[in-house]
Amino acid sequence: MNFLRNPVAVKELRSRMRGGRAFAVLTIYLALMSGLVLIVYLAFSAASNNNFGPSSRQAGKAVFAAVLTIQVFLVIFIGPAFTSATISGEKDRQTYDLLRTTLLPARSLVIGKLISALAYVFLLIIVSIPLQSIAFLLGGITFTELFLSQVLIIISAISYALIGFYYSTVMRSTLAASVATFASALLLTMGGPFLAGILATLMGTFLFGSSMPSWSMQALLIYGGILLAATNLPATIIISEVFLLEEDTLFYWTNVIDGHTVFILSPWYLYAIFYALLGLILYWACVRQIKKVSTR
Amino acid sequence: MSNIITIQALTKRYGQLTALDNLTLDVEEGAVVGFIGPNGAGKTTTMRILTTLLSPSSGEASVAGYSVTEEPQGVRGSIGYMPDFFGVYEDMKVWEYLDFFAACYNVQETVRHGMIGDLLDLVDLGHKRDEYVENLSRGMKQRLCLARTLTHDPKVLILDEPASGLDPRARIEMRELLRELKNMGKTIFFSSHILSEIADVCTHIAILEAGRLVAYGDMAEMKKQLRPHRLFIVRILGDTKVIQETLVETDKVLGIVPVQETDPESRTVRFEFTGDDREVSLLLATLVKKEVPIISFAQESNDLEDVFMHVTRGIVH
Repeated sequence: MNFLRNPVAVKELRSRMRGGRAFAVLTIYLALMSGLVLIVYLAFSAASNNNFGPSSRQAGKAVFAAVLTIQVFLVIFIGPAFTSATISGEKDRQTYDLLRTTLLPARSLVIGKLISALAYVFLLIIVSIPLQSIAFLLGGITFTELFLSQVLIIISAISYALIGFYYSTVMRSTLAASVATFASALLLTMGGPFLAGILATLMGTFLFGSSMPSWSMQALLIYGGILLAATNLPATIIISEVFLLEEDTLFYWTNVIDGHTVFILSPWYLYAIFYALLGLILYWACVRQIKKVSTR
Repeated sequence: MSNIITIQALTKRYGQLTALDNLTLDVEEGAVVGFIGPNGAGKTTTMRILTTLLSPSSGEASVAGYSVTEEPQGVRGSIGYMPDFFGVYEDMKVWEYLDFFAACYNVQETVRHGMIGDLLDLVDLGHKRDEYVENLSRGMKQRLCLARTLTHDPKVLILDEPASGLDPRARIEMRELLRELKNMGKTIFFSSHILSEIADVCTHIAILEAGRLVAYGDMAEMKKQLRPHRLFIVRILGDTKVIQETLVETDKVLGIVPVQETDPESRTVRFEFTGDDREVSLLLATLVKKEVPIISFAQESNDLEDVFMHVTRGIVH
């Protein structure tokens, strides 16, 4: 599929990059990102003057984490903000009917809109790579960590963008679509940890009391926790990083509980599978919604 | 000529409201059909069904041999649609706007450049090629939208109030465009509230009221059915006694309707006449011989307003 031949993608990209606005946003974004990296670096520099202060490797990790945090914010909130106005915006502008009476297939419309929304998000991510490379200079970051983080970012960007897109196709107004999109993004980001916290409290207080749960219950809790974490990007990144650093493993590690070996999966590929499936389902739903002929 | 649009028992209900009630009509290829009716009559509903934007409650419709419900892509490739209210992409240039829609209609890239130039010349927007769409006037945007409907050279144009909101000059320009498209062999199905515009351009008219088709046919035939005989209107100075007496004595005069003018010096007499042109000429000569002070003597044509008022009852949903 030649994306440059998608008329919607060409039109939207042309409009988005026209004039000084896009470059102004890019400049401001880079300036803020640079400022943040500088603050983190200076803080670690000042602390490392102390004999017991952090090493340059730790400073590198901190810089990497700062840039990654911005990227996570971008894909969870900014990307969907672009897509939540895609179809509802066309309806508001009264251009949707003009599009629907052309020969443009529904899937081309979806893909074209996605490309244009994601292209700008990815542009913002790509321009922050030089800043992220400072982490390599300082050390403390491996290629595996970089690769893993960017895979998760890309999958998240597409899935979260599709969440916004889906609401844009089913809601009547851009405002309603935007509200629903942000609510969903918040639920996926905060809902998991919130639920985990409640469950942990409940189980600790009511289920187990003072006695240690059985090995199977412990294993179940661990698997449940990993699964819950695998729905949440920040939690996935942190736990996968811990697996890499502490256990030097990318996919799973083994733990022995009461003499029983338990395989504990790293959440990153569970996250990738879950959000890839979610993305596919949402894509199918968006195409179906656009194909539907109105009854009103 | 074969029928390019066929509508069979088309019905559309919104809950208790029947917006379209058993509409049946066929449109010949090459015809220009004026679709008229009061607001809420069902014109836009019909057009949205024909353009695959709305599904009917029952009935069938096809355009260029493609069913609107079963083969929507075939219909879309055969029509150019201009809705009543439409938006434009403000941050695009005029040529980009047409290029985008041409691409949406799978027009080859190699062909588009020349085609866009031709279309802009047709709608008299060639000098605005590199202008942003947001800088165009209302009339220019309307012409641009009309050009957009032609990018893929469709057989049928479905236009919902194409002259809506335009100033008189722009209306005339739009009418000229429609005439040109008619001469290019396009089948045009358009709605308008301005009956004079429809009368100027159309070959057929369809009158809708409260979701029902109350009249459809060839325009000349419909006017003839409404008033089968010729109507003449004569303006004279002074009293109408002599002219009335003369007309009463003439065989081919069916009826006389004297009309009071605001000017007390002139009088108007209208009469129905069944004779041919030679007999009209003889009648005029007789009146002149009797020294009837004639200011004007002309045949009054039946206009569409007469037809519309005759067949509709003023029912609005």
